[in-house]
Amino acid sequence: MALLKMEEWYDVARETNWTPSYVTQDELYPAPMSNSYDIPLEKWESFDEPYKSTYRDYVKAQRDKDVSAYSVKTALARAEFFKNASPHWKALLALHFSAVCWAEFHSASAFARMTRFCQSPGMRNMATFGTLDEIRHGQIQIYFAYEFLKHDAVFDWCHKSSKTENWIIISLRHALDDIAHTRDATSAAIMLNMGLELAFTNLQFVALSADAAKCGDHSFATMLQSIQTDEARHAQIGEPIVRIMVENGKKKEAQQLVEIAFWRMWKQFSALSGIGMDYYTPLEHRENSLKDFMEEWVIGQFGRTVQALGLDLPWYWDILKKDISNFHHANQIGVYVYRATEWWRPIAGTSPEERDWLEDKYPGWNETYGKCWDVISENIRNGDYEKTVPIAPPLICNMCGLEVTGVAGDKWHAVNHHVDIDDRRYHFCSEPCKWIFELEPTRYKGHKSIIDRVFDGTIGPEPDDFYNYMGQSPAERGADGYNYRWVDGYDQTEEDQPRSAAG
Amino acid sequence: MADFPLAINIQGDYGYKVIVVDDQNTIEEVIKTSVDQIVGVLVAPFSKETKLRAWIHGADRPLDNNLKVSDANFIQMEALQIYAEKNSE
Repeated sequence: MALLKMEEWYDVARETNWTPSYVTQDELYPAPMSNSYDIPLEKWESFDEPYKSTYRDYVKAQRDKDVSAYSVKTALARAEFFKNASPHWKALLALHFSAVCWAEFHSASAFARMTRFCQSPGMRNMATFGTLDEIRHGQIQIYFAYEFLKHDAVFDWCHKSSKTENWIIISLRHALDDIAHTRDATSAAIMLNMGLELAFTNLQFVALSADAAKCGDHSFATMLQSIQTDEARHAQIGEPIVRIMVENGKKKEAQQLVEIAFWRMWKQFSALSGIGMDYYTPLEHRENSLKDFMEEWVIGQFGRTVQALGLDLPWYWDILKKDISNFHHANQIGVYVYRATEWWRPIAGTSPEERDWLEDKYPGWNETYGKCWDVISENIRNGDYEKTVPIAPPLICNMCGLEVTGVAGDKWHAVNHHVDIDDRRYHFCSEPCKWIFELEPTRYKGHKSIIDRVFDGTIGPEPDDFYNYMGQSPAERGADGYNYRWVDGYDQTEEDQPRSAAG
Repeated sequence: MADFPLAINIQGDYGYKVIVVDDQNTIEEVIKTSVDQIVGVLVAPFSKETKLRAWIHGADRPLDNNLKVSDANFIQMEALQIYAEKNSE
């Protein structure tokens, strides 16, 4: 018996909309969860996903990917890669797994909301696969991270982090809650797919996978590739939705959703991927900078995609072009000097050779951010380790939850934006962060940064109160990944190095 | 007398920090508190002749160094830039 080709039956098979008789259409798809944006149902039903898959094909492809990733892991487990990996790579792995595992798992909830509440059968079909993808991504990554737990207790945070009030986790959770978990299905589909997955996952999964392969971490590289192929597929839910909105007079609404989500995710990836690429990737395996990747994949590629869909480039595009050379460098200083507030062992990444690379990739780095590192390095050389940690805490942005930073050193440029509401001052690291807040102050004004929580008494006055609040026992407070043996180069002998101290 | 939190950014530092001062402190004392916590940690020491001034972020003139915090009409967490006055460098 001749079998029909998929394209001959796919559209009919996934046509699962019906006219409800026991409830109204509005009860079936309540606005707070669905949000049709007043676009008629028949318009939504025109949704046509660019990448079509059947459940049978999906399961087969996913099984093959899992077999490949787990096989490589099993084959390489005996190689004890982790034991011999550099502190750079260990820090990068710890940061990646503890930030990404739970975020992926939580994304399953967002996709499940799309599966139930999106108006079009095609959207729901794609979102079903997206839900399964995200469950897989959460599981496979936490399983791979679990392997390292026997070598390093830091990896406990791959599972634990999302349940803590650590300041970095608060920052990431706030962003993801905003774009994916507290919006209707239509808005969340645009924000999560366009603002996060289409725009940025290439940075964390493709670029990092390439770096992992160069470092010899083939297990991690294979796993990341298997994830990104899923991201590339399910991220395509957002594009047809945007197209439908633009065609039906809702360009302004779609534009705003993309702009909010993109900026919120840029700040997160700037810290996660930016520090990972420009400071944590071992220098001998480092080729492209965050700026290189951003210019090619995001400012170029994503920018063209946005315009092809009928949207405009975000209004802050010129601000972004400057931010890719600044924000993560400033935040890397903060991540290093406030290292005890992190659960992994941060890397300075500013040995003499690394500074040359930074200056080459970011001309002027030495006379700006490098000036702060000059002071830090000098304190280390003098054995003044206590002076490498500021007494004063950083000011935290009331939108992105990261430090309010500007340009350091000889080209010092202080950056601060603020809004006053009910005698409370809200600080922002950038004009777009402030813009997002002002779009909907009632949505955001109740949130308190970790520093706000110190000053309103939520966190007690003793130093341990702060760490206890963030879920960090004394053993879970970050220390210099090299115990300061980077300051004059990693090839220095023990005798050449500053005297050893707890980092 | 009451604790008063301020956001400060000293010339050369990469970002704002939060310090707590007494509302009876003068701006000069705010500058000194800031210097004590940041200079030599993230910013190289200024020369002895350098006169440091403060202004509210975005303002176009410096605050009087003798002005008390309580008289400055600050909101809690006011953002101050602390900079080296050019003609005294």
